[in-house]
Amino acid sequence: MRIPYEWLNEFVVLDINPYELASKLTMRGFEVEAIEEYKPSLDGVCVGEVVKIDLHPNAKNLTVCKVRTVKEVLPIVCGAKNVKEGDKVPVAMIGSTLANGLLIEKKNIKGVESLGMLCSEKELGLSDDHSGIFILPGEMKAGTKLDELTGLQDFVFDINVPPNRGDCLSVYGIAREVGSILNQRAKLPMFKLNGLSNKEISNLISLSVKDTEACPRYVLRMIAGVSMVPAPFWMRQRIQKCGMRPINAVVDVTNYVMLELGQPLHAFDYHSLREKRIEVRVANENIVFKTLDGEDRNILKGDILICDGSGPVAIAGIMGGENSEITEKTRDIALESAFFNPLSIRQTARRIGIRSEASLRFEKGIDLDNVDFAAERAIYLMNLTAGGVIVNGKQEVYDKKSSKSIFVNFGKIIDILGTPIEHNAIISSLRSIDLHIVKEEETGFVVSVPNFRHDLDEYMDIIEEVARIYGYDRIPATTPVGSFQVPKNEKRSAYFSSAKEYFTACGFHELINFAFFSVKDIENFLINSSDERFSGIPIMNPISKDYEIMRTFLAPNVLKTIAYNLNRGARNLQFFEMGKVFVAGHDTMPLEYPSICFVMTGKERDYFWRDSCAEFDFFDTKGVLEGFGARFRVQFDFVRSSEPFLMKNRSADVLLEGIKIGWVGEIEDSVLHTYNIEQKVYSAELRFDIMMEKSKINVQYKPIPRYPQVTRDFAFLVEGAVPVATMLEQIKTVSPLITAVGVFDMFKKETKSIALRVIFQSFEETLTDDAVNALQEIIIQKVTSIPGVTLRT
Amino acid sequence: MNIDELRNRIESEITSLKTFEDVKKVKASLLGRKGLFSEYLDGLKLLDRDEKKIFGKEINLLKMHAESRLKELESFYLEEEKRKKEALDKIDITMPGKIPLLGKKHPITQTLEEIIRIFTSLGFSVAEGPDIEQEYYNFEALNIPKDHPARDMQDTFYIKSDIVLRTHTSPVQIRTMESQLPPVKIIAPGSVYRCDNDISHTPMFHQVEGLMVDKRVRFSDLKGILSIFIREIFGENTPLRFRPSYFPFTEPSAEVDIGCVICEGDGCRVCKETGWLEILGSGMVHPQVLRIVGYDPEEVSGFAFGMGVERIAMLKFGIDDIRQFYYNDIRFLSQF
Ligand SMILES: [Zn+2]
Repeated sequence: MRIPYEWLNEFVVLDINPYELASKLTMRGFEVEAIEEYKPSLDGVCVGEVVKIDLHPNAKNLTVCKVRTVKEVLPIVCGAKNVKEGDKVPVAMIGSTLANGLLIEKKNIKGVESLGMLCSEKELGLSDDHSGIFILPGEMKAGTKLDELTGLQDFVFDINVPPNRGDCLSVYGIAREVGSILNQRAKLPMFKLNGLSNKEISNLISLSVKDTEACPRYVLRMIAGVSMVPAPFWMRQRIQKCGMRPINAVVDVTNYVMLELGQPLHAFDYHSLREKRIEVRVANENIVFKTLDGEDRNILKGDILICDGSGPVAIAGIMGGENSEITEKTRDIALESAFFNPLSIRQTARRIGIRSEASLRFEKGIDLDNVDFAAERAIYLMNLTAGGVIVNGKQEVYDKKSSKSIFVNFGKIIDILGTPIEHNAIISSLRSIDLHIVKEEETGFVVSVPNFRHDLDEYMDIIEEVARIYGYDRIPATTPVGSFQVPKNEKRSAYFSSAKEYFTACGFHELINFAFFSVKDIENFLINSSDERFSGIPIMNPISKDYEIMRTFLAPNVLKTIAYNLNRGARNLQFFEMGKVFVAGHDTMPLEYPSICFVMTGKERDYFWRDSCAEFDFFDTKGVLEGFGARFRVQFDFVRSSEPFLMKNRSADVLLEGIKIGWVGEIEDSVLHTYNIEQKVYSAELRFDIMMEKSKINVQYKPIPRYPQVTRDFAFLVEGAVPVATMLEQIKTVSPLITAVGVFDMFKKETKSIALRVIFQSFEETLTDDAVNALQEIIIQKVTSIPGVTLRT
Repeated sequence: MNIDELRNRIESEITSLKTFEDVKKVKASLLGRKGLFSEYLDGLKLLDRDEKKIFGKEINLLKMHAESRLKELESFYLEEEKRKKEALDKIDITMPGKIPLLGKKHPITQTLEEIIRIFTSLGFSVAEGPDIEQEYYNFEALNIPKDHPARDMQDTFYIKSDIVLRTHTSPVQIRTMESQLPPVKIIAPGSVYRCDNDISHTPMFHQVEGLMVDKRVRFSDLKGILSIFIREIFGENTPLRFRPSYFPFTEPSAEVDIGCVICEGDGCRVCKETGWLEILGSGMVHPQVLRIVGYDPEEVSGFAFGMGVERIAMLKFGIDDIRQFYYNDIRFLSQF
């Protein structure tokens, strides 16, 4: 809400610097997000009185005005048509510069000397109005500086009004808070209705409210014979400062009063109201209704309607109908000021998709007590600015209810806030914001809630008010008195941290991607329709097609990040991501589990002068994975994978205790191409929840052997597709003395040659050559018994 | 016995020495078991006692002389040898070393871990909840009924009419309180989602929620705990203020601001000229929320708070565009 300081000053005496006031408001819960300074540069512009207007002797469209400033009367040539003799106008004197940069000089215009310039509002930088010369209020003195015009110099506060404080969506509402800050009471504007006609409103229009739940208060007032003129400058200026657009005096007054008092108003063209009656009711069937913006709106059963003798003329609190709209020809006005059920307005406005300044205020609830006063204020201002005569009296329906009261315990206030506030301080704090104490006892008090405070329902709401007025900064900072608790469930976050530490230590940077992707990603990865990763959970209102479903696995977004970086010149990349993936569950809620994906492409580094740097391959990736398993003390098994997005010959499924928990391998070229990646990419993805579950964290110490170990190397020739794992397993079965078997060389000529190193270790004795030789024989025998394997000699 | 000849030979052998190898050779040929001195000393046997005495003395003097000369030369050439070898071995220590490759945790993770570290050290446990959440936990149970004006504050992604992507981590408060009795002292880090995408909003971001409920937990305790946290994360001398605000699930509610880290309070673009930066939302748990989870607001009270991890990371690292976190550009990631 934008609040002009100068306007605020009408309700309270602002003997405080605007910046200081702003910070006090902020500390009261009304955050001033910005202060806009209005400081038009009006140097050299003063008020002039038009003494005489003559036609220009040589130009049909021009006039020559004689304008009196302080002492002199200046001849000024003018092209505008709206100036009359006797008007007060702004005169830019010779030597001054206008807001648009124009320098005013002595000029000879078609044979007539012009000593200055009469200005429009636009030329002075006050508004966009360039329809004519800016006619100033008549009471301004000729010769005074224009700066003295009220409201030109101002500070406009942009206040973030909390959503529960609809009562502060007006200058008066904010003034009430300011009053409490400055120990004053905000005053309502004073005025007296003039120009009353001898007609009674009851003879002109009738009112009935069918549902007082929907509309507990409705006031109708009338003014006849208005003219559709622009509102005076001061009113337009204030409306503009508040961020609205001036239209004409009648419309502007409805907006002005809404901004001033927070009461939205609606003006009907009296003559368009059939049967001269207004009926407020709840729609009992679904209909289509054309609003004043020309749109057809669907009205549903339950929406609140304003009707005349034959049908709807407005959607209550939201928008009027085309059929009763104010036009240039309107002369007689029926003005509505009402309270509509906030929830109902909110639902209707939301559904129709209109969020107007009026509906915004109705939704939050307005001041039931202020409905009549606002109508009176508006009718007064219409008369002042648009002329006409005010019709006597009002039509009103008011279903009066008693106001709320709340009991609050003094002790509770002190317990909750943690500081001893004196009872008197509590009472006076509340009084300052119109919360009056109706009963005070030893232990507590009963406070009555004014009708404009829709946010106060129970004792805690009152405690908040006490804290707010007392000042949060005066409440001390303490430490809780309860017993100390040892944090629980630390294991899980420790797992995540150490997994991340493993990957960063291996040279991988961590990614965080959005948890959504697109159906296209699933297609790109060739995921089969029977796969759980095929059916991503769709978002009903996605932000774009790229983010239309929840990700079912991490790899697609990780691959997109690879493409993003390759496109920006990177060649060697190692990334990992840990995050939730989402798949359909058995009941209504989807399953979410943590997954971990890593990816490597290019080589470890571009170059190192001493070494040659090889491109990453399958075994680099597999090694990172095996190391990851070792980190969490689990043993992975690898079998050939049938993942459709991996290269058949360079990929594996990862098993943990016989359960598939992921995959590792080279991404299929066709998949890479869909993401415009032209270099080999190796990747793996695992379910981290299963890993955590199977991880063995309890370490049991094994004694360090006291006897030396013995090492023997073997070389075998292997034909066909015997996996080395088979050979290793055979060797391990030979004897418990075999503590480690490793592959230390592999090369391929006609047949594959594999070199293995076996470590023998006894915990009881020093192994003799004879003993090891015997085991060596068994090893050779066992391994060569595998078809296709022979000992290399 | 010709001692002069011996002296001359020794002299010529020693003066012709050029290398360490030569020293070793000459040493052997003169002083070795079958060397020149042995030869001469053997020759003494053939002489009579007096001659033996005279020549023996002469020879021994010469031998001692030769030994000391050779010893000097030996160490001289050894040194020289070592110098030559060193000259060959010398490396250019200004050549670059091989730096082990080290990845970085994402700045969001780094910030999250720091927040978690501070609160666990204050006795808070880490709790979790689902990202895909029932509307009930995300809104109703937090005192945000349908059509509540507060729902305007957040633009929600819907999965079904009653299932949403959580818009805040606050549902974890409810889930935790439903599953245990007070005292409760948790923080809940996690991803949250809102339909927003511009320079200051991403559709997914991270929050940390905190909740403490026990007998006699006070608003002043909230101030105490959050002051400790903020000074720990932003520095001991960080100015901070608590100001009234509105959240449907807390009351009294407080927004916590810190003195702008960019301009130190003078006013700048980042703090919108106010000198203050909003850093977290907090408040006393609304009695309605306590009732909803079956706690008695007459018996227990509590405070809750929530903060945006991206915002804290942006301020700590001086990042001005939130989207940077999600481009995952290696030139960004490798900086932290
Ligand atoms: Zn700043």
